Amino acid sequence: MIITNIETVPGKTIVKHLGMVSGNTVRSKHAGRDIMAGLKNIFGGELKGYTELLTESREEAVARMVKQAEAIGANAVVNVRFSTSSVAAGAAELFAYGTALVVE
Amino acid sequence: MYDLILFLILLVLGYVFGQIAEKRHFRSIIQREAELRDVLCFTERNVPEMGRIDSALVCGSVVISIDFFKKFVAGLRNLVGGRVSAYESLLERARREAVLRMKAEAKARGAKSVWNVRLETSSITKDASQGVAAVEVIAFGTAVTPR
Amino acid sequence: MSAYENPQIPEGINVSPTHPLKDFALLLGGVSALIVVAVLALSFAAGYLVRFVPFEQERALASSIDADWLKQSHSADDKRREQYLQALGRQLAAAMDLPAEMQITVHYSSDDTVNAMATLGGNIVVFQGLIDTVDSENALAMVLAHEIAHVRHRHPIVAMGRGFTVMLALSALSGVGDGMIQQWVGSMGMLPMLAFSREQEEAADADALQALLRVYGHAGGAATFFEHVAEQSALPEPPALLNTHPDTDARIARIRDFEQAHIRPDELALKPLPDFVKSDKTDGTDPD
Repeated sequence: MIITNIETVPGKTIVKHLGMVSGNTVRSKHAGRDIMAGLKNIFGGELKGYTELLTESREEAVARMVKQAEAIGANAVVNVRFSTSSVAAGAAELFAYGTALVVE
Repeated sequence: MYDLILFLILLVLGYVFGQIAEKRHFRSIIQREAELRDVLCFTERNVPEMGRIDSALVCGSVVISIDFFKKFVAGLRNLVGGRVSAYESLLERARREAVLRMKAEAKARGAKSVWNVRLETSSITKDASQGVAAVEVIAFGTAVTPR
Repeated sequence: MSAYENPQIPEGINVSPTHPLKDFALLLGGVSALIVVAVLALSFAAGYLVRFVPFEQERALASSIDADWLKQSHSADDKRREQYLQALGRQLAAAMDLPAEMQITVHYSSDDTVNAMATLGGNIVVFQGLIDTVDSENALAMVLAHEIAHVRHRHPIVAMGRGFTVMLALSALSGVGDGMIQQWVGSMGMLPMLAFSREQEEAADADALQALLRVYGHAGGAATFFEHVAEQSALPEPPALLNTHPDTDARIARIRDFEQAHIRPDELALKPLPDFVKSDKTDGTDPD
């Protein structure tokens, strides 16, 4: 599955446009990480726990988007955008969406 | 002791009514998606040549509130980490509803397709320390109507 | 536009397949179990370690605490009552094999609270309210011996140590989650603490009955105070699991069983209380 965030897939021609596909996921990190983050609030530095959380969320969201694209017979997803927000205490929602295409 | 009973009642109410509302909403979403299938949506910006067309911005937005049960489960999940599945169905509903409302607005104009569709999610908090009270999703794009 | 379509996307990709109730049950059970186990472990450790604090230290700690009932001004009658209570306390303490360095100080409070309590440093306070509800020295001795037993087992400092440790540990989670979760975590944390409290109460009851036996030769009249409590409580008792004390009826039953088991054929009558002990409120006549 080819994924790009530009209008086309460079070097390939688009055969069919199959519409919007999206993947979203809501993940939470455990209490231990929250406590560490609290400490980092005093000392500063990268919140590795939360970075991991967002990376995992992103990978899962993109995986779900790809699954939707495969289900409708696409082999590329273009114009991919991410949107993230916090919807629950200590949890992050990550939402990836794009247009599924058949390219060759 | 009575706090516990009240809590359990709220939990049961939240679960029962939340599930009923969710199932009903999903049925309505699937039905309307079937009806609005002829309005095509793309996140692409390259609008193909279609002759004389009118274009306009169309939006759809929805705010869905979080029931007691979901909030409690999310809180518990926050202690141990992992996927908050209660919220996933909520956001799925909100997103699909917003896109449907946008499509409905496009169809009302006589449009056949919507381009450069974008979605934004935000959380609406009644009280910041108490967590989120509602989720808002807005979907917008350019609707293209052949003249 | 022929190359442009919107095929139908199958359901269920963006939602998790687990049923919400199953998810909830697993989470609730898991989190509650974790908290209870963690609190139990901490409580055992704290209870074990705090016993190493010498009794002298405990007394020093107690004297540094400001307590209202220590500062009450006593009338002449009140002083007589306090002396009586102290003498009774000494008699019971002698029958209970207290270690040499453990000294009991019985305080009297003219407040009408129906209670008696043991705190740090061997300090016990008996309230006038409780004295007014009992009708024999035996019943009063049961309550006093119960409190002395608490001191003997060092329950006050152990309870304080456990409570403090658990509170400190649970406060680490204070930033996590919303208000409801805090409440739930607090309640789960309380359950083992309540179980410990009940265990302490039962141990104190057992020791007190033994003391009564040694001093009076029988355990008659021991249940009087608890019977009064059972009669007086207007609201139903919360379930034993959520209570700091064992179920009152069960307690009365245990005490009665003990009484029955130790009845002597020439059972002595209950020893009456001296006149001056009861307050003006109970009998119609003025005390001397």
